[in-house]
Amino acid sequence: MIAIAHELLEAAVRRMPEDALTPARKAALAHFATSGFPTVSDEDWKYTNLRHAVELSNTWLGNDIVASPESNLTAAAEEAVKAITESIDAYWIVVANGIATVDTMPGANDLRSNGVSITKLSQNGDVAAIIANDPMTSFNAALLQDGLRVRVQPSANPSKPLAFLFVDEATQGDLSQARLIIDVDAGATIDIIEAHVSVGSDPQFANTVIQLRVADGARVGFVRIQERADSHMQVGKLIADLRRDAYFDYASFDFGGSLIRNDVAVNIMEPGASVNLNGLYLASGKQHIDNHTRIDHRVGPSQSREEYRGILGGRSRCVFNGKAIVHKGADGTDAEQSNHNLLLSETAEIDTKPELEIYAEDVKCAHGATVGQLDNSALFYLRSRGLDRDAAVQLLTRAFAARILAAAPIAETHAYIAQKTDQRLDALIHGDSQ
Amino acid sequence: MNMLEINNLKTTVGDAEILKGLSLKVNAGEVHAIMGPNGSGKSTLALVIAGHDDYVVTDGTVQYDGQDLLELTPEERARTGVFLGFQYPVEIPGVNNAYLLKAAINAKRRHEGRSEVDAFEFLQLAREKMKDLDMDPSFLNRGVNEGFSGGEKKRNEILQMVMLEPRLAILDETDSGLDIDALKAVAKGINAMRSPDRAIIVITHYQRLLDYVEPDFVHVLSEGRIVRSGDKTLAQQLEDKGYDWVREAASA
Ligand SMILES: Nc1ncnc2c1ncn2[C@@H]1O[C@H](COP(=O)(O)OP(=O)(O)O)[C@@H](O)[C@H]1O
Ligand SMILES: [Mg+2]
Repeated sequence: MIAIAHELLEAAVRRMPEDALTPARKAALAHFATSGFPTVSDEDWKYTNLRHAVELSNTWLGNDIVASPESNLTAAAEEAVKAITESIDAYWIVVANGIATVDTMPGANDLRSNGVSITKLSQNGDVAAIIANDPMTSFNAALLQDGLRVRVQPSANPSKPLAFLFVDEATQGDLSQARLIIDVDAGATIDIIEAHVSVGSDPQFANTVIQLRVADGARVGFVRIQERADSHMQVGKLIADLRRDAYFDYASFDFGGSLIRNDVAVNIMEPGASVNLNGLYLASGKQHIDNHTRIDHRVGPSQSREEYRGILGGRSRCVFNGKAIVHKGADGTDAEQSNHNLLLSETAEIDTKPELEIYAEDVKCAHGATVGQLDNSALFYLRSRGLDRDAAVQLLTRAFAARILAAAPIAETHAYIAQKTDQRLDALIHGDSQ
Repeated sequence: MNMLEINNLKTTVGDAEILKGLSLKVNAGEVHAIMGPNGSGKSTLALVIAGHDDYVVTDGTVQYDGQDLLELTPEERARTGVFLGFQYPVEIPGVNNAYLLKAAINAKRRHEGRSEVDAFEFLQLAREKMKDLDMDPSFLNRGVNEGFSGGEKKRNEILQMVMLEPRLAILDETDSGLDIDALKAVAKGINAMRSPDRAIIVITHYQRLLDYVEPDFVHVLSEGRIVRSGDKTLAQQLEDKGYDWVREAASA
């Protein structure tokens, strides 16, 4: 296993401007130094090898550049930004190569007057809030140029979802770190979109962290749409802390990327909280998509519902690991979890592991996973009605994905997600008949 | 020329030979009933005609309108007017019943060089046919056969048949498991399809359906062969004497 070049990393951190984030960077660097990148001998990274990300990081660190705070996008990247921001009606905040420029953001005033404030992490000064407690969040914090601090006030009432677009391009920064810290105040209701696009055929590696705190009685709808370029890697982590009676409704869609690892960690910290996690991953070619979720029921009563579905073609490989931990004393926990996979080719591979750890007494928990192929009798039935094979496969795969599409919050995203799903399925089906 | 001409058809599924030299001729305008004990190969015959690839043809020919039917994919067979009403219609959750019906009609119309069906006309027609079949229009908006009762599934097959207007309809035990009202509704749907340029093959285990749909010919299938053919009185004889009677006759 190739390791990160620590002296280069230290030099890069030293080169970064002295600002409010400096102590956080140094602390994170010290933490990262003890671990380095995760390797396949770590249980949580058994199936996802970051070797190429490490190699790319070393090259990038050796090039002696740290992305300039200005983030000018190339025309190709601007196109990619337009394609999604013009399709989904939202307040879009673009994080380009890891850097967000909030000052010029359209709609910022609108948002502010509707109870949503967005500032740079370096201006906000609350450095202690930056979580850097595992290798990838530490690596992120150590190299973080800046991040965004979002506060959603109790009275918040924006007319559109709040949307963050992470756009990366291989020519600008081969490596990018981005971080959002979002506080949703007690009683507030907000819809949040996390979207990823990237351009360029050279390899690129993005490492993003989102910290979300959902206060008492607050309600958050959250949709993640990942459509990175097919030579690009990304590791992402969402950490969501839920307080009393908080509600977190999450759906994730993976369409692109060469190697994608997305972690969702939900902490149920007070009674009455409820969380839905839904996910759909569509993989073809040699894509590798790894979804890891962890829900900590620290107290009860509380409820979690989780369903991820995957459709895999080509030589793609996907991983699902869903862990629900019911801590001691978290009585009244109600947790359900499932993962279903459809393999369209014999060379596609899925490793699925729903896990339940229960240390409380009075709980209701269920989990299950399935891996299967297209139902041949359904396929024949459709063909016997005159539909050609491809159309029948498209219908059946679409039907398989439909549950997750239907479960997604934030209506503004639905048409876009449906269209992307159809496009990807089309590519998957045709790619596999060759 | 016969609409359907099957000669010495032999098929295997897995290692077993199921059809062992079956021959049958069906002309336009005729209604044929195929009867026979369980496991005799009735569904196998229906599925081979529809083109299911689990069933391998090892010998014999199947001609439809003078062309080699076995050359065609299942979808091509459907578009040229072959329809199979399944003994066990498949539930396909998430695929909308109306969507499938419309896609099926349009696939056929495209094949015929016609324009796609008008959405409004389609709905009008579907509602009208559903009324004839005593089906609630809400079935259009459900998943294909999803959560349908046995009788509802069979009515849905008949609905597809009447909407698609096939030239050759094969109905595999569409009558089994139906109560008398459903049976009458299904029979009405079948009778409405009788026409000089259409052939219908009803596969049934019981004589009951034939009280409502009067066949021109009755064939008895036993152990992969047609062992006896006759007019509708054969069905009555079978009902009275049981299948052992034909089996004995066949081996005699
Ligand atoms: N897909 C299949 N796989 C294995 N055996 C089959 C299959 N389909 C039918 N058979 C066998 O073929 C024989 C005839 O079945 P079938 O055609 O369904 O008879 P029928 O419709 O007259 O009851 C039976 O012995 C049955 O077990
Ligand atoms: Mg049968």
